[in-house]
Amino acid sequence: MSVASTLTEKAFADRRRGEWEELDALTLEARRGLKKLPADDVLRMSPLYRSVCADLAAAQAARYSAPLVDYLLGLTAAAHTVMYGPHARGREDGRKGRVRHAWLVAFPRAVRRFKREMLLAAALFFVPFALGCLLTLRDPTFAFRVVPEAMLRPLTEAYAKGFEGGREAGEGAFMAGFYVYNNVGIALRCFALGIFGGLGSAFYLVQNGLSIGAILGYVASQGAGENIVVFIVGHGSLELGAIVLAGGSGLSIGWSLVAPGDLPRLVSLQQRAREILVVVAGAAVMLFMAAAIEAFWSGSSAPREVKVVVGGTLFLLLVAYVLFAGRGETEPDDAGRPS
Amino acid sequence: MSPLDTDVAIETPEHIVFHYRVAGPARRALGHVLDLALCYGAVVVLGVIVVLAALGGGIDSGEIGSAAKAGFGLVLLALFAAQWIYFVVWEAVFGRSPGKMAVGLRVVTTSGRPIGWRAAALRNLLRAADLLPVGYLVGVVSMALSSRFQRLGDLVAGTMVVVPENARPARALELSPPAEPRELRELPEHIALDADERAAIELFLRRRHSLGQAREHELAGMIARTLGDRLGYAHRDPSRLLALVYDRAVNAGRLEAPPSSWYPKAKADRSAGAGRP
Repeated sequence: MSVASTLTEKAFADRRRGEWEELDALTLEARRGLKKLPADDVLRMSPLYRSVCADLAAAQAARYSAPLVDYLLGLTAAAHTVMYGPHARGREDGRKGRVRHAWLVAFPRAVRRFKREMLLAAALFFVPFALGCLLTLRDPTFAFRVVPEAMLRPLTEAYAKGFEGGREAGEGAFMAGFYVYNNVGIALRCFALGIFGGLGSAFYLVQNGLSIGAILGYVASQGAGENIVVFIVGHGSLELGAIVLAGGSGLSIGWSLVAPGDLPRLVSLQQRAREILVVVAGAAVMLFMAAAIEAFWSGSSAPREVKVVVGGTLFLLLVAYVLFAGRGETEPDDAGRPS
Repeated sequence: MSPLDTDVAIETPEHIVFHYRVAGPARRALGHVLDLALCYGAVVVLGVIVVLAALGGGIDSGEIGSAAKAGFGLVLLALFAAQWIYFVVWEAVFGRSPGKMAVGLRVVTTSGRPIGWRAAALRNLLRAADLLPVGYLVGVVSMALSSRFQRLGDLVAGTMVVVPENARPARALELSPPAEPRELRELPEHIALDADERAAIELFLRRRHSLGQAREHELAGMIARTLGDRLGYAHRDPSRLLALVYDRAVNAGRLEAPPSSWYPKAKADRSAGAGRP
């Protein structure tokens, strides 16, 4: 241990204290964002931070006492938080381009890339859906095992009435709020519970498929089948599609945990989650759109032919978007991906 | 000073190693309760406003107006925001939600950097899994099993919740009263203490004034005898012996060392020759 040419702790602290206190003051001021500081202070901050970092290294090398080292650690840590803080990143170049890229390229690509999981999710949803529908058509009381009777009866009456009266605007706004709260919540939960090896997502998909199928079958068995199909056709492709995509994303993170390949399980999970997040976000946006359509259009008094044509067009557009959007575009550098 | 097992070492681009203290479940729960109170408090206030407005309108028109229904739609949207958006936005923009701010917590990535939108979204989406089956049981189990108190959301997003600490500067230890030549005469010129010994003596010297005199002597006596034997040095007062030994071990030979840490005569030569660095 050679300390012959180093200062004593007291002399070191006395000499350097000025800069430490300056950095401390600047850090405190910059807590609310580096941008709020005057330009001169911002310029001063960086060299100050580096020189205090050097002091810390010197203090550790010279084996100064723990309180001094702790103080410098605290000081540099606080300054580090400001220097590398969310404010400091500022406007990343092309953030707008990034959002556009996410919708036009990244989202449909991610769906295609994980098509195995998405198709499995679709099967987990639509097979119980068809089953629930068919079983209920054969025996309407089957629906009561899946969905409470108290909920089914008023629903049926509402559909039986048809849409001649339309919906008043306030009612529509209320329903929009409800659809967002309920449906987006279900989709996000359906994704999150995929962490348990995909089982949570699978459960949600099957359960939702079965009950929606049962409702459809029951309403149809009571003679309002045409009405409910006309109601669903407008927003159905977005809404059911989004649930399937969210569930597929959940299956995907679950599978990345079960079969991580060459990676450690945690790393595999983290990577997959970052890749699949765009699909979850896309599903959420689809559900917002579906909520608006369902609240203000599906229940409106527009003629049923128009509703069917609009719904069909939307379905075709959605399929084309997921299948073809973003093909042939070059992938930009993905800075956020962990190496 | 060996780091506790709640410490996480982070190396920055400047090659500085920080030790962050990871926050435990109790403190995080407190922060979370504050956040919940804030969120649902806001939702309830909004709901009450809508109800009052509806009642006010209802007396006039005799029925619950369509505006009131729209108002309840707004309440549901607020509920959605409280569940899924509130935490994401606060943590992505400020690195902490108001509740975390109140109890002094911050969310950082496992490499010590502030979290971005993606990490904030992931860790809060996975909240839905962590709060199962009741009261964040899954999250607490996950925290207990992970080395950094991470709930599932933290594991997936690669984040952790830390307690940023701000230490105040402590004065460097000084030998007081200054050593007398009599005391220094027999003190060995070179004293080597290993890191543990230094840390222990330092801790003692910083705290000795808060101890009673008898306790001070008792504690110092435990180590002073062994140390004195090793160095071939004896002093009446074990506490003073530790102070002298520490002063010499730490300061002797350094620039601007106080006179007490060196032979008075040798020190005079040294300070003349050392000059300014």
